[in-house]
Amino acid sequence: MVDAELRDKILAALHRKVLDIPVVAVTGGKGGVGKSTIAINIAAGLAEMGHKVALMDADVEAPDDHIMLGITLEKPLDITINVPDVDAGKCTGCRICVDICRRNALFQPREGVPVLIGDCNGCEACMLACPEGALGKEGKKIGETYVSERDRLLLFTGKLLPAIEESSMVVSALRDRLCASGTGADLVLVDTSPGIHCNVINALRGADAVYAVTEPTTLGAHDLERTLKLLGILGLSSHLILNFSDLPGPREKIAAMARALDAEISCELPVDEQVLKSHVEGVPAVSMFPDAVSSVCMRRIAEDIATEYLQ
Amino acid sequence: MKLCITSDGKELNSSVEETFGRSPYFVIVNTETPESKSVRNTSMQSGHGAGIRAAQIIADEGAEALLTGIVGPNAFNALKAAHIKVFEGASEFDSVKDALEKFKKGMYKEATVPSGGPGGGRRFRGGQW
Repeated sequence: MVDAELRDKILAALHRKVLDIPVVAVTGGKGGVGKSTIAINIAAGLAEMGHKVALMDADVEAPDDHIMLGITLEKPLDITINVPDVDAGKCTGCRICVDICRRNALFQPREGVPVLIGDCNGCEACMLACPEGALGKEGKKIGETYVSERDRLLLFTGKLLPAIEESSMVVSALRDRLCASGTGADLVLVDTSPGIHCNVINALRGADAVYAVTEPTTLGAHDLERTLKLLGILGLSSHLILNFSDLPGPREKIAAMARALDAEISCELPVDEQVLKSHVEGVPAVSMFPDAVSSVCMRRIAEDIATEYLQ
Repeated sequence: MKLCITSDGKELNSSVEETFGRSPYFVIVNTETPESKSVRNTSMQSGHGAGIRAAQIIADEGAEALLTGIVGPNAFNALKAAHIKVFEGASEFDSVKDALEKFKKGMYKEATVPSGGPGGGRRFRGGQW
């Protein structure tokens, strides 16, 4: 156990922000519960109210927000990590780089300089440790970021290349691009991957508010519990959104579990065919069917966010 | 020739271990003399790159050839960079001594390409298909 004072320091560092604008995250343990649907509709709702919104699609393994919004991905930029490039003229064969690599990616043959054989994750420890400055940087592509703009909605999308392990680095690169872009946005809305692992943790950094989405199924209950526990560790409280709320399922179980973890269901969205239709058309439901029950609920969340953070 | 045989234990009577990177010990024998020594494989528990690290250990010991069950591509490339010959097909049902005798009779073939995908030399005890 980390003592309380240290924990506070760690969390303060984790959530430190560069941009002085509010950050709201939409997350949830289970896939398919409607995180992206809700995120794009909140973003569209805020934009319709006149706010400039930067939507960060941090579901970097399967970024779909642009499809739901009917937006083309634009301005691609490669994300690269730096792998070592040995300068044989400078290398003395001291092997510090080989021994420091926690991935055991470097190999020192009996003659000659170290060779990169294994799966380097770009931590650059070898470059820092080399006393001769013999390790240069060579780029290795791990993914791409995109920026698309439509009216008051700016969409930042991160894409991880298939079979690459560094999903969290894509989230970092995406956030860096957003911060560096001088968007002039009033608010950042982050749509995370499902799950509770590193890229989700990274995407939740600095969130002023978190909306945790689930559904009234046994699966939804199980995965929500894991999400709430993660949020507790990260020192984040959350608003719960129960999507597909009219499905027959263990609602009480979810409500009880949420209460036990200091969370409460603050919004319920019923199963809504018009939301499905909006996905087919690639138009947010709040714009296409403004009077649909779901649209009214999602616009209300946008209004709540605006009241809390954009007054 | 200094030959490294992957092994479950430190002795010539120990069983052969069929994986390379995650072999508990390396028994290094001289094929011309009775001389032998054993080295513990400190890379055995590595999350990544156990094969490369294992190749580093036996290269540092001066091994000129490796006899094991199977070698993955990363370890294979490292062994190649160190000019260490690779012989695959040794069985865990043999002792190190038996495998050495079979090696002397030319019963193992030198591998020219790696056997599996990355991590292909790995064989966990449990946790795998």
